[in-house]
Amino acid sequence: MKKIISLLAVIFIVADAAAQFQTNLVLSATPPAQLSDWGNRKEVLTFIVNAGAGLTPTFKIKSEIKTTDGTVIGTTDLANARTFTSSTATSLFYATDVLPLEYMIFTGKYKSSLAKTGKLPADNYILCVQLVRPTDFTPASQQTCKNFYLASLQLPILMKPSNGEVLDEKTAQTAITFRWTPVVPRPSTPVTYRIQVFEVMENQNPMQALRSNQPLLDKEIRGTTQFIWRPQLMFKEEVTDSLNNKNRENIFIWTIQSLDDRSSPIVQTDGSGEARSEPFVFKIKNKDAKKPKSN
Amino acid sequence: MKIKIIGIFFCCLLLFCNNGTAQDKKPSFSVSGTMGVNYEGYGLSRKPAGWTGYTPRRPWNQVRFSFQPNFQFGKNFSLPFNINVAALPSNFAGPYSGFIPGGPKQNFNQWITNPVNNIAVNPKYKWAELQLGTQYLKYSDLSTGDIGIFGAGVDLKPKTYRIKFFTGTSQQGINYLSGPPTITGAFKRKNWMFQLGKEEEGKYNLAFNFAKGKDVPASSAPPPLTVKPQEGFVLSLVTDVFFNQGWYVKAEGAQSIFTKDLTTPLTTLIKSFKPFIDAHTSTVKDYAGQASIGKKSKDLDISVTTKYLGAGFQTTGYPYQQPDRLDYTLNTRFNAMKNKMNVVASVGQRVNNVSNTALKAKQFIGNLNWFTQFSDKFSLNVNYNNFGFQSASGINPFGIKNVSNDLGVNPTFTWANTKMNNLLSLSYNYSKYDERDVITGLTTSNNTHTALLTYVPTFLTKEINPDFSAMYFYNNAPGAKTTLFTISSALSMPAAKKKLQLRGQLQYTLGKLNSFSSNNNFIASCTVDWKITKQFTWNTFLTTNYFKYGNEIIPNGANYLESTCRTGFQYRFDTKKNK
Repeated sequence: MKKIISLLAVIFIVADAAAQFQTNLVLSATPPAQLSDWGNRKEVLTFIVNAGAGLTPTFKIKSEIKTTDGTVIGTTDLANARTFTSSTATSLFYATDVLPLEYMIFTGKYKSSLAKTGKLPADNYILCVQLVRPTDFTPASQQTCKNFYLASLQLPILMKPSNGEVLDEKTAQTAITFRWTPVVPRPSTPVTYRIQVFEVMENQNPMQALRSNQPLLDKEIRGTTQFIWRPQLMFKEEVTDSLNNKNRENIFIWTIQSLDDRSSPIVQTDGSGEARSEPFVFKIKNKDAKKPKSN
Repeated sequence: MKIKIIGIFFCCLLLFCNNGTAQDKKPSFSVSGTMGVNYEGYGLSRKPAGWTGYTPRRPWNQVRFSFQPNFQFGKNFSLPFNINVAALPSNFAGPYSGFIPGGPKQNFNQWITNPVNNIAVNPKYKWAELQLGTQYLKYSDLSTGDIGIFGAGVDLKPKTYRIKFFTGTSQQGINYLSGPPTITGAFKRKNWMFQLGKEEEGKYNLAFNFAKGKDVPASSAPPPLTVKPQEGFVLSLVTDVFFNQGWYVKAEGAQSIFTKDLTTPLTTLIKSFKPFIDAHTSTVKDYAGQASIGKKSKDLDISVTTKYLGAGFQTTGYPYQQPDRLDYTLNTRFNAMKNKMNVVASVGQRVNNVSNTALKAKQFIGNLNWFTQFSDKFSLNVNYNNFGFQSASGINPFGIKNVSNDLGVNPTFTWANTKMNNLLSLSYNYSKYDERDVITGLTTSNNTHTALLTYVPTFLTKEINPDFSAMYFYNNAPGAKTTLFTISSALSMPAAKKKLQLRGQLQYTLGKLNSFSSNNNFIASCTVDWKITKQFTWNTFLTTNYFKYGNEIIPNGANYLESTCRTGFQYRFDTKKNK
C-alpha cells in the first residue's frame, strides 16, 4: 500500500513539474531551404517557454522533423544536446537552440540530401518540439508541432542573348531583348529581377568587368522575365587599329540578380551569396560592313 | 599620389626601354609590348531640373593606364609585365562592391586586389614560370578559373610534367557600413591552388587539381550583415585524350567540400576532409562531372557533351556557377557544297534540381544556323533558336512554362561594277515568347518582329565608305506595345595621307509605347584614329545621345543629353623591329 502511495506521489510530482512549462512554437510556413540558414534569421523560428515561479528548471529541447505521414526523419541527439536553464519566467529560443544541426540525427535519403546540399528534399514537413528533463529525457512539456514547406529557390537561368551569342550591331544599337527563366518555385511575393549589363573594357576579362565596372544597364524589373533594352549606344567598330593591335570587340557580360520584397538577395546561401545568376557574355559585331571588301 | 607614383614608374620603365633600344652591343636583349593611357569622360544633363528618371551609367571621369612590356633576355629568359590600373574604383557587383563615392577610401591592399586593377609580372626561364601579382588562372572547368588572385606561384613544365601552384588573396576585408552610403562589406579571402599533371600537346592531358579558398572571419569589423564567412575546397581530375583523325575524349570529375557559414558549429555528423577542411553544420559535400566525345575536322565537327553539377557542388574558383543541373547536348558543324554551305546546330536539354531539393525543371535547347552562298551575288542565312523551360507545379495549381522561339532569315545581295561594290542585306526576325501563369494556367504570348535593311556601297576609286540602314521593331506584350523605327548612316574615310582614320555615325529612333505620344532619340558619334608615328597612336571616340520622352512618363517631355568622350594614347615598342 505504501509503495502504491509513493508511486502515486512520484507521478503527481512529475505531472506537476511538467505542468510548469507552457510552450509555444512560432515557425515560418516557408522557411529557408538551407537548414543551417535558419539560425541566421530569427524570424524563421521562435520557441517560447514559460516556466513556473519558484523553481530553477533545467531542460533539453527535443525536436523532431517528420514527414506528413508521421515518419520521423530527424531527431535531436538528446545525450549530447545542450541543457538549458531558464532563469526567467519567459525564455525565447531560436533555430540554433531548437534545431542544433550538430546534434540532429537524420535518417536515410534525408541524411544523404542534407550532407550533399544542406537541404531536405522539397516537400511538406512537420516540426515537433518538446522539453524533456536532462536526466532521464522524460517529457517536461507538451509537444508542440508546426507544419512547414521546404523548396529551395532556383535562380533564373539566362536565356537570351545566349552565352557567346554574336548580335548584329545595327539591330543591337536600337534594341536588345533579354530573357531569363523565372525563380522557381514562384515565391509568394513577386520577385524583382535586377538586370545588369557590363561592358568589357580592353585588357579585361568578362568576369573582371562584372566585378569592377559600372553597369551600362542597371534596371529593376518586377515580376516579368523579359526586358527590351534600348542601349542608346554607338558601338565601336570592330577593327584592327593602325598599330595592328588586337581587335577591339564590343564584348558585354550580363546577369540577373533576384531580389525579394525587401530588396535583399533572394538566396544568400548559394553561389556568390548575391543571388546573381551565372553570367553570360555576348558580342556585338557589324556583320555586313566588311563583306564587299572581300569580294 | 598613386597616379604620380604610377606615372614616375612608367617614365622610368620607358627610359629603360629606350636605353634598351640603344644597347646594340647586346643583341640578345629586346623589349616589346605596349603602353597607354586612356581617359573617359561622361556628362549627363537632365531636364526638367530635379528629374532623376535617368541615372548616369558611367563614371564621370576615369583614367586607365596600361603597361605591358616583355623584356626578353636571350632565348630562354623573359620578363613580361602586365599592368592595368584605373584611377578610380567603380565596383558595383560582387563582394568588391562598396567603393561608393562618399564612402571610406580603399586602403592599399584593397586597391591592389581590386579587380579593376591588375599588376603582374611572370618571369620565365625555359619551362619554369614564376607568377607574381594578380593572376587569373584557369586550372580546369570545375576547379578554379574565374577569380583573380593577388599572390605568388609557379607554373613548371619540365618535359611532359605539369606542376602548378599559386597562393594569395582574392578579396580584402571590407567593413560593413550602414551608411548612407551603405557598404555591404566583405571578408578577406585567402586562396591556394595546386595542379599536378602530365601533358603532351595534341595527344593527352592528365591533371589533378586542388583549390581552396577560406575567408578570415575577423577581417572586417563590423562584419557584413548578409555575407557569411565561407570555406571551400575542391579536387578534380582532368583527362583529355586525342586520337587520330580528330577524335577526342575529354572528361573531368570533381568533388567539392564547402562550408557556407564558418560561424556555424563544428560537427562530427558530416565527414571532414582533413587536413584541408573541417566540417561545420553548414558544410556540404557533392560531386560534379563533365565529359565530351567528338571529332574535329576541316568540314565536320560533331560532339556529344554532358555536364553534371550536384546540388551541393560549390567552389570559390567559380563563385557564380549554378549547381544542381544536368546538361547534355549534341553539337555539330559541317560545310558542304565546296564550303558554300555552312551549318551549325545544337540540340540538348538541361535538367535543373536534379537533387529534388527544389521543383524539378527542364529546359530544352535547340539552335540552328544555316548559311548558303547560292551565287556570287546572293547568300541566305537562316537561324532558329528554341528555349523551352518547364517546372513542376509545387504548391501552385500550374507549373512554370516559358517557351522562346526565334526565327531569323537574312538574304544578302551583292553586285558590282567598275566603280563600286554594293551590298544590300535584309534581315527579318520573328520572336515568340510564351509564359504560363502558375495560378490561372493562362499562357500569354509576347511577339517581336524585327526587320533591318542595310545598304553598303564601297567605292573602288574613292576612299569614303558609307553605309545606310533602316530598322523596324515591334513588340507586342500583354499591356505593352512597343514600336521603334530607326534610321542610321555612317561614313568612314582616311585623311592626312592616311594618318588619320575618321568615322562618323548618326542614328535617329522614333519610339512609341502603346497610345502615348512618340519619344525621340538622336545619337551621333565620331571616331578619330591618328597614327602619329609607326609606334604611337592617338584614338578618340566621341558620342552624344539625346533622348526626349513623349507623355509615357511624368513629367511629360522629360529629356536628357549624355555625352561620352574616350581618348587615349598608345605606344607600341619593339626594340628588334626598331633596329
